Amino acid sequence: MATETDAGTETDRPAGTDTGAGTRILDHERKEWLLGRGLYVVAGALLVFLWIPLAVMIILSFAVNASTFFPFRGFTLAHYGATFADAALMGSLWNSVQIATLAASIATVLGVLASFALARYAFPLKETYRTFGILPMVIPGVVLGIALLIYFRTLLPQLFGIVIVPGFWTVVLTHSVYGFPFVLLLVTSRLYTFDESLEEAARDLGADPLTVFRDITLPIVAPAIGAGFLFAWIRSFEDFIRAFFVRGTMDVLTTSMFSMIKYGTAPKMNAISSFIVLVIAVVLAVAMNVGNVTGMVAGTEGEE
Amino acid sequence: MSTETPERGRSARERAVGAFTSRASKLGITAGPALIWLFLLLLAPLTFMVAVSFTNVNTLTYEIIWEPTMENYGQLFAGEGPFWQTAFFQSLTLSYFIAAVTTVLCLVLAFPLAYLLARRGGTTFKVVIFLVLLPFFTMYLVRAYSWYLMFGPSGVINSTLIRIGIIDGPLGLFNYGVPAIIVGLTHAYFPYMLLSLYASLDGLDFSLTEAARDLGASRIETLKDVILPLVLPGIISGSLFVFVPALGAFITPQFLGQGKVLMIGQLIEERINSLYAIGYGSAASMFIVLSIVIAFALAFRYVSIEDLGGV
Repeated sequence: MATETDAGTETDRPAGTDTGAGTRILDHERKEWLLGRGLYVVAGALLVFLWIPLAVMIILSFAVNASTFFPFRGFTLAHYGATFADAALMGSLWNSVQIATLAASIATVLGVLASFALARYAFPLKETYRTFGILPMVIPGVVLGIALLIYFRTLLPQLFGIVIVPGFWTVVLTHSVYGFPFVLLLVTSRLYTFDESLEEAARDLGADPLTVFRDITLPIVAPAIGAGFLFAWIRSFEDFIRAFFVRGTMDVLTTSMFSMIKYGTAPKMNAISSFIVLVIAVVLAVAMNVGNVTGMVAGTEGEE
Repeated sequence: MSTETPERGRSARERAVGAFTSRASKLGITAGPALIWLFLLLLAPLTFMVAVSFTNVNTLTYEIIWEPTMENYGQLFAGEGPFWQTAFFQSLTLSYFIAAVTTVLCLVLAFPLAYLLARRGGTTFKVVIFLVLLPFFTMYLVRAYSWYLMFGPSGVINSTLIRIGIIDGPLGLFNYGVPAIIVGLTHAYFPYMLLSLYASLDGLDFSLTEAARDLGASRIETLKDVILPLVLPGIISGSLFVFVPALGAFITPQFLGQGKVLMIGQLIEERINSLYAIGYGSAASMFIVLSIVIAFALAFRYVSIEDLGGV
């Protein structure tokens, strides 16, 4: 970890010597050093806090006794074998992947279009539209889940005679709304920093609107669209509570995991969770080296 | 808009009409689909939910009886004793308490780390941000579960401490309950706070702090009078992004409370899933929505909606 490597280089600092006027300056230096060092210690402790439960879980996924360290009975790969052989679990994983992909695609199309409306046109109630677009991200999952459950199960059939049986498609619809704000925020912020004179220049040079869009606009906005899709995908993939309400009898990965924890099958839960941490680590490492993930996530993109 | 190539040979009026319809149609194509989608899958369900909170449900057919009633709201606050002893009121106040403590903890913990990230670049930054982002992108359920392994009478913390010989029997502190929930939620929402603070601190001009120090301000004064006012938007948006989801949390209290603690999200879920009590659930949800509206209204006095973007 970064903190450990830095700690060693600083130990040869002189302790405060008492030579009159020099004392205050040395004290000051020492104070600075202690403060800087303290910051690293705090940061290190926080990283340990963030990582320790995950590390414990990953270790336990290889342990024969799957729920606690003691008494320790050795390492095994059996839990992984059993997990990947579990057809129901793998089925729900596949459901989650399909749902996340479909929902994120819908969210991306809607979000990109809406971003252009927000960034390029003035229209009445624009701020209301923007607030409305961010709402799905802010409404707690329990509330959105219940509202949609009542809507699909009771209101649509009773009032309008439309029957949508809760299941795959209701989860897709729910998640498409949930993922929408993430695309909207990322793409609009990109469009606001976009230099529109580039488009005008292309048009002056004779490009038709479609060519301008394909050769100028799209390449500039593409990273934000990609990041928006990824965000919406992850949100859908990891969402439990919204899916829990509107899924009907179908299982997605999170609902399968929920029942695994509830009914106490720790070995498989450890294995599938550790596997997911690994996959995400690889994806994140790649993404961080390809694009400005931090900027996208922290909203500082464009200030670099 | 200057996207139109001027077409000669048409009258000015025709051109104006053409431009207008084309602009309107462009607006329709870009803003329309999302508007329809949000109307059908967000506004309509939420509006109906408000309506449902004022109706009763036929207990046999589960059909809504469309007659306005305050019964659901009455039920929330009526029980054996006074209103502050009802399950709903107690879980609401407990949820406020847990969400508030979580928010403060996240703020206190995230600030030094965000400061470090904003001041340091290069490899340190990349490694630290990777180590922070990885748990952030890891499934929320997995993180709640990882704490579920840590806590409990025979969980990793207690069994390790007993093994090392520091304690004789399992400590209540590391059993499931409110402390475990707060730790779990802090872990879950810490990155939101960190990233909000980082975004604010990263845009901060640190020569201002140097100037303050040169002019004789103490470290504490600099923090209080220079840094804090400038990063206030980050603090407020970070707090919102921790407080709001923590208030409606479901998974974390479910696993880290182990039935000892009932937060508002669990209470609603239980009534809906076991009784399909959608009137009661809707009415209770209104209190979550109302709390959040108030939290945002307060926050918007200090920040704009743009400041909330990103995370």
